[in-house]
Amino acid sequence: MSNLETFKYDDKIVRNFAIATSLWGVVGMLVGLLAALQMVWPVLNFSAETSFGRIRPLHTNAVIFAFVGNGIFMGVYYSLQRLLKARMYSDFLSKFNFWGWQTIILLAAVSLPLGITSAHEYAELEWPIDILIALVWVAFGINMFGTILKRRESHLYVAIWFYIATWVTVTVLHIFNNLELPVSLVKSIPVFAGVQDALIQWWYGHNAVAFFLTTPYLGLMYYFLPKAANRPVYSYKLSIIHFWGLIFIYIWAGPHHLLYTSLPDWAQSLGTVFSIMLIAPSWGGMLNGLLTLRGAWDRVRQDPILKFMVVAISAYGMATLEGPLLSIKSINAISHYTDWTVAHVHVGTLGWNGMMTFGILYWIIPRLYNTKLHSVKMANAHFWIATLGTIFYVIPLYWAGWTQSLMWKQFEPDGLLTYGNFLETVTQIIPMYMLRALGGAIYVAGVFMMVYNLWKTTRKGKVSDPEVSAPPKEKIVSGKGEYWHKWIEKRPVQMLVAATVLVMIGGLVEIFPMIIIDKNVPKIESVTPYTPLELEGRDIYIAEGCLGCHSQMIRPFRSEAERYGDFSKSGEFIYDRPFLWGSKRTGPDIHRVGNKYPDSWHYNHMLDPNSMSPGSIMPAYPWLFKRKINTKYTAKKIRTLQILNTPYPENYADIAVKDLELQAKQITANLESQGIEQENLEDKQIIALIAYLQRLGTDATPQIFVEEK
Amino acid sequence: MYKYILESAGNINWMALFALLTFMFVFIVSAILIFTKNKKTIQHISHLPLVNEEDLNIENRK
Repeated sequence: MSNLETFKYDDKIVRNFAIATSLWGVVGMLVGLLAALQMVWPVLNFSAETSFGRIRPLHTNAVIFAFVGNGIFMGVYYSLQRLLKARMYSDFLSKFNFWGWQTIILLAAVSLPLGITSAHEYAELEWPIDILIALVWVAFGINMFGTILKRRESHLYVAIWFYIATWVTVTVLHIFNNLELPVSLVKSIPVFAGVQDALIQWWYGHNAVAFFLTTPYLGLMYYFLPKAANRPVYSYKLSIIHFWGLIFIYIWAGPHHLLYTSLPDWAQSLGTVFSIMLIAPSWGGMLNGLLTLRGAWDRVRQDPILKFMVVAISAYGMATLEGPLLSIKSINAISHYTDWTVAHVHVGTLGWNGMMTFGILYWIIPRLYNTKLHSVKMANAHFWIATLGTIFYVIPLYWAGWTQSLMWKQFEPDGLLTYGNFLETVTQIIPMYMLRALGGAIYVAGVFMMVYNLWKTTRKGKVSDPEVSAPPKEKIVSGKGEYWHKWIEKRPVQMLVAATVLVMIGGLVEIFPMIIIDKNVPKIESVTPYTPLELEGRDIYIAEGCLGCHSQMIRPFRSEAERYGDFSKSGEFIYDRPFLWGSKRTGPDIHRVGNKYPDSWHYNHMLDPNSMSPGSIMPAYPWLFKRKINTKYTAKKIRTLQILNTPYPENYADIAVKDLELQAKQITANLESQGIEQENLEDKQIIALIAYLQRLGTDATPQIFVEEK
Repeated sequence: MYKYILESAGNINWMALFALLTFMFVFIVSAILIFTKNKKTIQHISHLPLVNEEDLNIENRK
């Protein structure tokens, strides 16, 4: 053939991403292990920077965006070039993508332990990092689309459709959930408040799972599973249906994270219905994956790569059946706020993302280094260790979740809660937390084995960018009745972008009415904005990551009203920027903790939780008693909130700090009268935190009720 | 209740309908396209991941 074009694949970038995936996997999981151990031994909260509240977001961000994120780039950069028979569009953009992403991860690893967070789960990073993420993501997009445009293969394989959907949707989600006004370089205030903020956050949160942990990995499954099994996917037609069904339905399911909260009922029902519908495309995809191995199951017995992939796809199937079930209100009433959710998530992450990544790494590294895997035996051992670790991780947590939830809801015949003290329901499940930590440790041990095995493999290999020759893209010759098919194949980018934007309307239909309709959030007259001191206290609450363990959302159940007080109403949150409902109760809900205890109780409790609640696993916060309240940005915070229509009096920002000092003095005097004495106590962070905690939930509580207490 | 709230927001029923119709349109068109697609084309696309560098070079140099 005379018109052959010879070119080289860029495999250096794939190698870089593969190394980053392995390293960040180890780091992210070790941080997770630390967090798991802290839940058993609070003494492991060594300092402010390593306390659970700050470590938990570090763990989630590290495993999602550093481990899986690099895994996505590794798989996409490898498969895209080969499926399109073209080198990546721009080497510069590839490098920018790689180094930009690692910079973001480093910035996260520094800023999260420092307590710099926007409090939106899985979107905690502050606005300068958000902008960097946007830049790097756009660079990735341009690089991907550029490669698609200069491709030599006219047909786009389904994996690429998944990559494109991932790119478009993550872009939209990232922008919407990070709409915020900067106050300083490390602090911003979100544009939306309360219920609206919650809806947008969980629309994001849910779709971060859908379009970061699922769709790109499905793309990888559709490429690497046929590769590893050396046979085409079971049904290509089914994969197309899987694609369209999944991306359209997923976008609607977010509200299932907010069942029984103050979110309007219609939005909750919508979330439930679409979640149930999700079973169909998810299982279509799972079956397509498993059936690909029909007639090749004998090879699964020997090949660790196929083993990893089979378990990954099975875990995907289990997680996507369980997810819709958890979206049914009566099941969610039991599961929400408990470890059941954590177990469910880890079936997905340890099982689906972890095992799939390991499988791909074992497949890709020997090929990138032109050699054979150092030890297949060790990879097989890793498979069993990873499986065992996952089982040891999830089963105790399922048990813990069910136990605790049932204890929360248990009543005595006389109408009192059987376990009135929340702590009883925690100490009961500590042994389960120990087993979970053991499961995590086993899983991490497997990862260390893998890293060693892969490292040994690279040592004996040689790297080179493989040279290939292929003819330029052919014109598609359309068969009989294939006119439209031909038309679409010619314009894949336009078609896919347009279609993805159109299906995104599904998400907007949910959010749009929430934003424009005032009466969706009934106003409560007695609810007023936070005082400057409470605002600063609230920001300390956010920085310490208190919402990782404490919810601020009492659901309308008898057991919750009895334990925590009147159920939460949406009108109570209209000045909450960001909303702080939380998603897990390792400690009790504190939406109505205001005025429940004297100031001195909080003082002592934060200094040493065990002094007030013996056996508590809450860490101590001694630094709050030494560090001063930062009032540098108080006025600016007030002004920013005023821009967002928080009704502070005109020019209030000018006297905000004065007001703050006044309230701090009152609380200090209060503490003194209760026998607490500390030098210069009035400018310490603990005072602001006490002010905030004592305010919580009091606005909507009738005065009589407070006086009785 | 959902319908009620949508109505109170002014006439935005079209959004829900538009979303549904868009999905149905895209879904049906893609289903029709995929099921009427030439068998050979499907076979070609589904075998794309199985092309190795060496195969590609050998095949093209023939």
